Amino acid sequence: MKMEEMSLSGLDNSKLEAIAQEIYADLVEDSCLGFCFEVHRAVKCGYFFLDDTDPESMKDFEIVDQPGLDIFGQVFNQWKSKECVCPNCSRSIAASRFAPHLEKCLGMGRNSSRIANRRIANSNNMNKSESDQEDNDDINDNDWSYGSEKKAKKRKSDKLWYLPFQNPNSPRRSKSLKHKNGELSNSDPFKYNNSTGISYETLGPEELRSLLTTQCGVISEHTKKMCTRSLRCPQHTDEQRRAVRIYFLGPSAVLPEVESSLDTDSFDMTDSQALISRLQWDGSSDLSPSDSGSSKTSENQGWGLGTNSSESRKTKKKKSHLSLVGTASSLGSNKKKKPKPPAPPTPSIYDDIN
Amino acid sequence: MVVSKMNKDAQMRAAINQKLIETGERERLKELLRAKLIECGWKDQLKAHCKEVIKEKGLEHVTVDDLVAEITPKGRALVPDSVKKELLQRIRTFLAQHASL
Repeated sequence: MKMEEMSLSGLDNSKLEAIAQEIYADLVEDSCLGFCFEVHRAVKCGYFFLDDTDPESMKDFEIVDQPGLDIFGQVFNQWKSKECVCPNCSRSIAASRFAPHLEKCLGMGRNSSRIANRRIANSNNMNKSESDQEDNDDINDNDWSYGSEKKAKKRKSDKLWYLPFQNPNSPRRSKSLKHKNGELSNSDPFKYNNSTGISYETLGPEELRSLLTTQCGVISEHTKKMCTRSLRCPQHTDEQRRAVRIYFLGPSAVLPEVESSLDTDSFDMTDSQALISRLQWDGSSDLSPSDSGSSKTSENQGWGLGTNSSESRKTKKKKSHLSLVGTASSLGSNKKKKPKPPAPPTPSIYDDIN
Repeated sequence: MVVSKMNKDAQMRAAINQKLIETGERERLKELLRAKLIECGWKDQLKAHCKEVIKEKGLEHVTVDDLVAEITPKGRALVPDSVKKELLQRIRTFLAQHASL
């Protein structure tokens, strides 16, 4: 072996070239032979002509190379003109826009339900001109769960909460009260279990008057009914009682026992304005039941009326907003000669009374 | 004298072939050639030629010998020059490496 290798080095170039050509020819022949075996096997197994097709069918499936057509000879942007008919509103919508439309039209998804319900609501009650779209949706949506219904109520009441101040003689005033109370009852069902009382809405003016002279009459936030206890009922403050009377009977009506202390001659306009603005601010920040409760409480404590019980929370809230109504109505209607200022009295007065 | 030289040449060729196979270079070259031939369409051309031959002879009467006889000359001729050159270059390099030993 070693000798052969030694002899290799002695070869001249022409010999090497000849050997190279020989090897090359050998390799090509090998490849040809391999190919021949391959073909022969294919022929004998019957799959050699499988990929052959007749020229006619080849023509049918030729690759098309023309502008505007895909390789199958079809217009490639054909789908753009396709339209689908919406099963809900039976409008025809471009196929590319169909899925988004369906989402809106069927009212599935978060935003689309609002849009769809607004559409329904607008067609159903055209007289309702609510600027707040979300409110409108929620109010007119009967399919929603109980929780969202509460939410709707709350929102509505929040909005209407301002109305008495802007328009004291509005018929919606009582409505706003009702909503406010409803909201409170929903938010705090355990605190307000005062079920005794009568519904003030069913009473006539004379009944109201007689009732208010003998009973406490403060409207409960929870039951929306008037308190039937005595005029010195400990559950409600005199401020609340006074506010209820002003609300129902006008500013001239006063609580008998507090009349003397409250019978101030001059109606201080600036005080009243300050009160209104204060309460309005309070109302505007009244976004959640818990918030409203706490804000009311703190406000009333600022007035020196707050007691330390949780009950005071409920009563104070009612009182402040009733007194507010009374103030507003006294401002709006100047027919009374001596309007009573429902302005906050000093703490000392009430400490004495109680 | 002549006979001994012929013997020597044959011995040398046998030795070189042996080396080609031993080092695996022959297999590498074969694989390279195969790939290059498929790449340049040599196989498709030969296949087309095969079809003609087979249709001529009839599907049932085709033998490997017939095919080899028909195809090999054509196959040799159809190898592109570039492939041939590359392959020869590789073979020469191999020979030079092993001649220098």
